[in-house]
Amino acid sequence: MSKILNVDNSNGLVVISTEGYLNKDLGEEIQNIAVEYIDNGSNNFLLNLSQSNIVNSIGASIIIELIEKLQEVDGKLSFCELAPIIEKTFNIMGLTKYCKTFNSQAEALEALK
Amino acid sequence: MFDLSELNFILNKKKSFKGKISLLNDFLFNNNIEFQVYFFSKNFIKKFEVNNLFYSEKINFQKVFNKFPHKIINQKVIDYLNVFEKSNFQKGGVISALFYKKKPVGFFYLFSNNAKENLFSYSQHISFYFDSFFKEFNLKLKLKNRTTSFQKIMLEIESIFNITELLNSNVDNLSELHQNILLYIISTLNASKGILLIKDINSGTYEIKASIGIKENSLNKKMIRDSKGILNDLKTDNKSKIINNIKDYALSDFSELNCLASPIISQKKIHGSIIIYDKESRDGLVLFNDSDLRLFDNISKKISLSFDNILLLDSLKESKKSIDNIMSSISTGIIKINILGEIEYINSSAKKVFSFNSESVIGNHYYMVFEKNNNLIRLIENTEQKKEVLFESNFDIVDFNDSKHQINLTISPVFDDDNEGSGVVLSFEDLSGINKVKSTFKKYVSENIVDELLKNETLLELGGSEKEVCVLFADIRGFTSLSEKMEASKVVYILNNYFQAMIDVIFKHNGTLDKIIGDELMVLYGVPLKSDNDSQNAVNSAFEMLKELSVFNKKMSNKGFPELGIGIGINYGKVVSGNIGSDQQMNYTVIGDNVNLASRLCSVARAGEIIISDSVYENLKNEEAFKSCKPIILKGKSKPIKNWSFNNNKT
Repeated sequence: MSKILNVDNSNGLVVISTEGYLNKDLGEEIQNIAVEYIDNGSNNFLLNLSQSNIVNSIGASIIIELIEKLQEVDGKLSFCELAPIIEKTFNIMGLTKYCKTFNSQAEALEALK
Repeated sequence: MFDLSELNFILNKKKSFKGKISLLNDFLFNNNIEFQVYFFSKNFIKKFEVNNLFYSEKINFQKVFNKFPHKIINQKVIDYLNVFEKSNFQKGGVISALFYKKKPVGFFYLFSNNAKENLFSYSQHISFYFDSFFKEFNLKLKLKNRTTSFQKIMLEIESIFNITELLNSNVDNLSELHQNILLYIISTLNASKGILLIKDINSGTYEIKASIGIKENSLNKKMIRDSKGILNDLKTDNKSKIINNIKDYALSDFSELNCLASPIISQKKIHGSIIIYDKESRDGLVLFNDSDLRLFDNISKKISLSFDNILLLDSLKESKKSIDNIMSSISTGIIKINILGEIEYINSSAKKVFSFNSESVIGNHYYMVFEKNNNLIRLIENTEQKKEVLFESNFDIVDFNDSKHQINLTISPVFDDDNEGSGVVLSFEDLSGINKVKSTFKKYVSENIVDELLKNETLLELGGSEKEVCVLFADIRGFTSLSEKMEASKVVYILNNYFQAMIDVIFKHNGTLDKIIGDELMVLYGVPLKSDNDSQNAVNSAFEMLKELSVFNKKMSNKGFPELGIGIGINYGKVVSGNIGSDQQMNYTVIGDNVNLASRLCSVARAGEIIISDSVYENLKNEEAFKSCKPIILKGKSKPIKNWSFNNNKT
């Protein structure tokens, strides 16, 4: 089943790790948590989708909403460890134009710190 | 009057409608102009995401504006307004209508104590801005909708590509294939969950091969059949369908709205089903519609078309597994080389002989793999060129660890369906094991017999059986008293040399050494392989043993050893052969009266004398060398035994 596995906030970067189908429910969970952090001043987010191997367009559109929210506070969202099918969907839906993607979390942390 | 070009410049700083309204508000406020915007629809306000817009009940546009969209507020206008706006608006202010797609959607209000005379002009300009905002917003909305719908089509096309790719790929793991098929369908159609079922051909029951979004415990272990529910519907209609009255059906426990179900049909038979449940939208779950059904049906048909291949793949994998099991259990080494000269397959026996592991050889060219075996490379090249089967016996090879082996090798060309060469197959037997057996056997029988036996194992009959053999006993005369006078080490030395000399002769004549009893040799002719001249072989052995003994005596006397004299007895007849002994020790030997007779003939033979029975004499070609002797009386035999003698000392 889909869920958020972990949220880690250190060195100004909030890393959200998920598991399972990135659909409306999981998308909204991510969005709610991110908004909480945005309200508390965070604006740099990394989404680790290594344990999520599937996304639908609703899940992706919720992530677009999150990107728009982050743009309002001059924030940014990055992705790491995307499954090929998720990367394709994100490409088609235009998410990757606004977000960086990294092969691994370690690589992302190094680049975003 | 404020500078309109400055306002233009300011409003261009923000792209969104929300941002522009906010900037306009600030600008007018700074110029001491009161500004309020009202819309008749709360959804409209939400759509623009602007906080400082107000909601108003609809007003009578016709009476308020009377064809012209801007009005200076007087008592007549105030009378037509709603209670809320009446309290907020002042006479002398201006009210302007707002139109979106030519329909009245709201109005705005301007008031200023300092610039009453300019308000009318301001309102015309601001109306123009709103008009531009709305047009821009509408264009953006249209673009966004078109982009979304384009993206949706792109995702659908991508999904069909992905599924085609998936179905045509080499799949090692069938359950992974099922899971991936379901993943693509669910994500493409925005379903919240789904299952893929495959029908068991024998039992007719369905097994859930993949599931997404469904809690493990919801998939109860009930037997799933197509006698009722969704599966029965699919069986009846044989086509994809939307099922709305979902709660009435089996397999519906995990659904909230409706589902799409499709049969997997191959060769006009249903082999399984895909069911996806509850379509997601941004605003919650929605019903699957006909457009979803069309796409779902399209994808399902593609899967059905490929199902034969999936079944074939499954059966091929089973066959491959079975062939691999067979190949790994046989002792023959098998190596398949493809048309490019690369090692394509190697079984475990071949790996063992060459001390290879698969990883190091599979996919490599045989030039590299057999770099230490140039002769083998030449033979493979030869077979590749001539396309003929090639056989080499006792072929020397060197394994990966530089150990030498001998193999019996066959190299066969392989042909494809068009009779074109598609590589070669090497099959070989490692002779190392056989050679080991041979060397052990050689201690007891001649090499000819070993070779014969190894060629045709059926000749070797083990177990108790009655057969005709020729039995030879050879005993050293006076050896007991001789050995008493000699040192033990010398006794062992002379005996070992004597036996070696005699056994060489015995093997030369295809004799089988049955046993050595003290200084006595017991030799059989006709076991384990029978021949037409077993008696002649035994007698020839005996003659040569006497001859060899005189050579041996000369050699040993030079070393100070005494001369040996042997007596030989030979009999031919039926004996019982078999493994005789106990569980702890068991030997293959022969027993019976004819064995005893041979022993008895030996015991009466003097040094240099060969005594044969009548049955041996009858089978000889050189019987004239023997002279008739006095018959021997044996215990338990009523008649004396006729026998013949050859005395080396008298010739």
